[in-house]
Amino acid sequence: MASNQGLCFHCNEVIPKGVSLHVSILGSSQAMCCQGCAAVAQTIIESGLEDYYQHRTAAAPSAQGLVPDALVKMLEYDDESVQLEFVAQNENSKEVLLSIEGIACAACAWLIEKQLSNIPGVQKIHVNSTTQRATLVWDDKQVKLSQLLQSIHKLGYNANPFQTDKQEEIDRKLYRSHLLKLGVAGLATMQVMMFAIALYGDLFEDMELIYRDYFRWVSLIMATPVLLFSAQPFYFGAYRSLKAKTLNMDVPVSIALLGAYSASLYATVNGTGEVYFESVSMFTFLLLLGRLLELRARRKASETSSNMLKLVPKLAMRIDETGQQQKVAASQLKQSDIIVILPGEVVPADGQVVFGESEFDESSLTGESLPITKKLGGKVFAGTINHEQTVHLEVEAVSQNTFIANIMRLQEQAQSEKPKIATIADSVARYFVFGLLVIAALTYTYWHFHSPENAFWITLAVLVATCPCALSLATPAALTAATHKLSKTGLLVKRGHVLESLAKVTHVVSDKTGTLTEGKLQIKHVICLGDFNEITTLNLIGALEAQSSHPIANAFSEYQGYAATNIEHHTGLGLSGEVDGKKLKLGKASFCDQTAEPIAGMLELVLMVEDKLAARVYLSDTIKKDAVSFSQGLKARGISLSMLTGDDSAQVEYVAKQLHITDIASGALPQQKLEVVKTKTQNSPHLLMLGDGVNDGPVLAAAPLSVAMGLGTDIAKSSADAVLLGSKLSTLLSAMDLAKKTKKIIAQNLAWALGYNALILPLAVAGIVTPYMAAIGMSLSSLAVLTNSLRLNKQ
Amino acid sequence: MSIIFVLIPIALIFVCVGIGIFFWAVKSEQFEDLDRQGINILFDDKNKTKQDNDSTD
Repeated sequence: MASNQGLCFHCNEVIPKGVSLHVSILGSSQAMCCQGCAAVAQTIIESGLEDYYQHRTAAAPSAQGLVPDALVKMLEYDDESVQLEFVAQNENSKEVLLSIEGIACAACAWLIEKQLSNIPGVQKIHVNSTTQRATLVWDDKQVKLSQLLQSIHKLGYNANPFQTDKQEEIDRKLYRSHLLKLGVAGLATMQVMMFAIALYGDLFEDMELIYRDYFRWVSLIMATPVLLFSAQPFYFGAYRSLKAKTLNMDVPVSIALLGAYSASLYATVNGTGEVYFESVSMFTFLLLLGRLLELRARRKASETSSNMLKLVPKLAMRIDETGQQQKVAASQLKQSDIIVILPGEVVPADGQVVFGESEFDESSLTGESLPITKKLGGKVFAGTINHEQTVHLEVEAVSQNTFIANIMRLQEQAQSEKPKIATIADSVARYFVFGLLVIAALTYTYWHFHSPENAFWITLAVLVATCPCALSLATPAALTAATHKLSKTGLLVKRGHVLESLAKVTHVVSDKTGTLTEGKLQIKHVICLGDFNEITTLNLIGALEAQSSHPIANAFSEYQGYAATNIEHHTGLGLSGEVDGKKLKLGKASFCDQTAEPIAGMLELVLMVEDKLAARVYLSDTIKKDAVSFSQGLKARGISLSMLTGDDSAQVEYVAKQLHITDIASGALPQQKLEVVKTKTQNSPHLLMLGDGVNDGPVLAAAPLSVAMGLGTDIAKSSADAVLLGSKLSTLLSAMDLAKKTKKIIAQNLAWALGYNALILPLAVAGIVTPYMAAIGMSLSSLAVLTNSLRLNKQ
Repeated sequence: MSIIFVLIPIALIFVCVGIGIFFWAVKSEQFEDLDRQGINILFDDKNKTKQDNDSTD
């Protein structure tokens, strides 16, 4: 059997037994794993885009998850008032930025572009396969946005409008301007090095003065744009640090560049002394290259995380004076409007229940693991999910005044108050630059009295020879290699200081639901007390829960052996219904007139069949597979772990006991969480906050170092310093080890660079360093630093 | 040897042209998606005949 037999031709997944679906692709019949893949493949063939299968370098995403639900939701994107949030209106076209899930290679991008450009009304479609985004310009009169999104869906991709986050916008501009500067520096360096080799020839063999001066002038012309344009970031950096009354790496870099250039200029114009144009250009080029690589790694991280910030259309169903229901954008709601919330819907505004009762999932807002019952007059918050029955709300606060908006404001405020952490390089630079300037001044003074005509040249040689090239590469090179390695293992670094902070962590504060636990209820024990065995019992419960979106129901979703009728929700208590004519009742012990027999940290459900006790089922939120090893790993590294959660249930104690956590704060609101972390930070400044919910947003923003779970909420991800992809806690431990190793490598780099400078300094001070010796020394020391840093990327 | 007085300025002009092209490439987002452009040439524009009025790429 060939290896790819039994695998779906479209998505490369194993074909389940009993499925026999085939689509003729490229002249032969190919097997498909599901209807979804077959439909997608058929669409591709029918559109004449067979080429896709020929040139793709990665398999397509499985089309299994494409549910019609999502397609219906897309219709909401057509609403004018909803579009205001993310669509740019041109004269006779509209433009939108889409994030597309499932782009695996360049062929996918081609496929989407071809398919969409065939639709009349599409004016421009450009898909970027690296960022997994598309720019779409279309004529609204000819085709609707939802139709375009649906045709992307038919190809097996999931497209949603989204907004880029601020950090990413800044990084994008910075990256482009650095790229331009690097290009100029690179091309100029090539030229200047060529002339430099000719000029070095002059040392061994006398060159006619006219040629020497000619080469110098040409080098001057090429080096000038490098100095004036390419090296700008260093001047600005130096200016900023001087303004803040500190010294950073950019200061010696700027002094060396400007000094070497002015001396060379002086030498060229007067025809005396040495020129250092090649050092100026190459130095700038190498430093820019290091910064660009670092920026690229960071950009990738912020792009991936902001791709997750999808814009979900926020629509509300409003009841007007005449009792008619009408769809409006959530932003248009006013106070005391009455809105309808259907089961499964996200609440668009804060309000009070005026009709009906239901359970609302507030887990992302408060960390509470179970839904909360809201009766008449109960307060419901925007962003929570209605689980059971239709309710009417009287709107109390909209958009900017909602509870969730308050959390976001708290988060922004916390972000701006966050202490800035000085980087290792900058703290070394402070002493180094100071020392260097003192030595240069002393050298000048000494030579001024002994040999005044050489004083300037020797002082300059000191500055150039000790040119902090290796020193300033020491940190960025190591950080770039480590950041790259981290993103490969699953930790996306969004801000520059993450690695340095990660190496110093002494205390970890973690959220519970969704971070240490899976955030999902699972069946733990089934005690059968009646005539039914375990499987039948679970199937009966599954039938009752089939229609519900409640977290309890999700635990039974795989048990679909029976169908129930006459299902009734008893809000906050349980369910009743009929299966095969038998009356069933499921819920709290009190609801079933039984005495509760609780097990610590578990939720008890009682099943009654025909008023007879049939079973007790115990559910609990499972602790993550690697949470125990994570907590042990932290202990082994001497790092303490505390839990800070919004949950107030018995679950907290249970989880804490399992993970041997003694420091617990439960039932904390976002504001309280923020205060707890602020106090803790005073005692242990190297604190790491781990979280996933909306309520963790402010703490994540304020903590010295914060990591959000990859499956967490958008608010958490946008406020954290790093995102843990795949939500595997063990990745964090290996990241800490890598950070420590990075710190060691940086120290080695700095030691080497400082050692080299210490060695060459006395020679330069004595006036016996020639420019080519300085250039060779500089290149070799930089190379050593780069090679050492690359060790981080291995394994 | 004096030929270099002519040739080097010509070389410099080429460098300037190179820098100009590089600037244009960066500004027109050629470096935004590095995987994509290389593979584009592999695809035939078979379905172009289907819609003659389509003038985009």
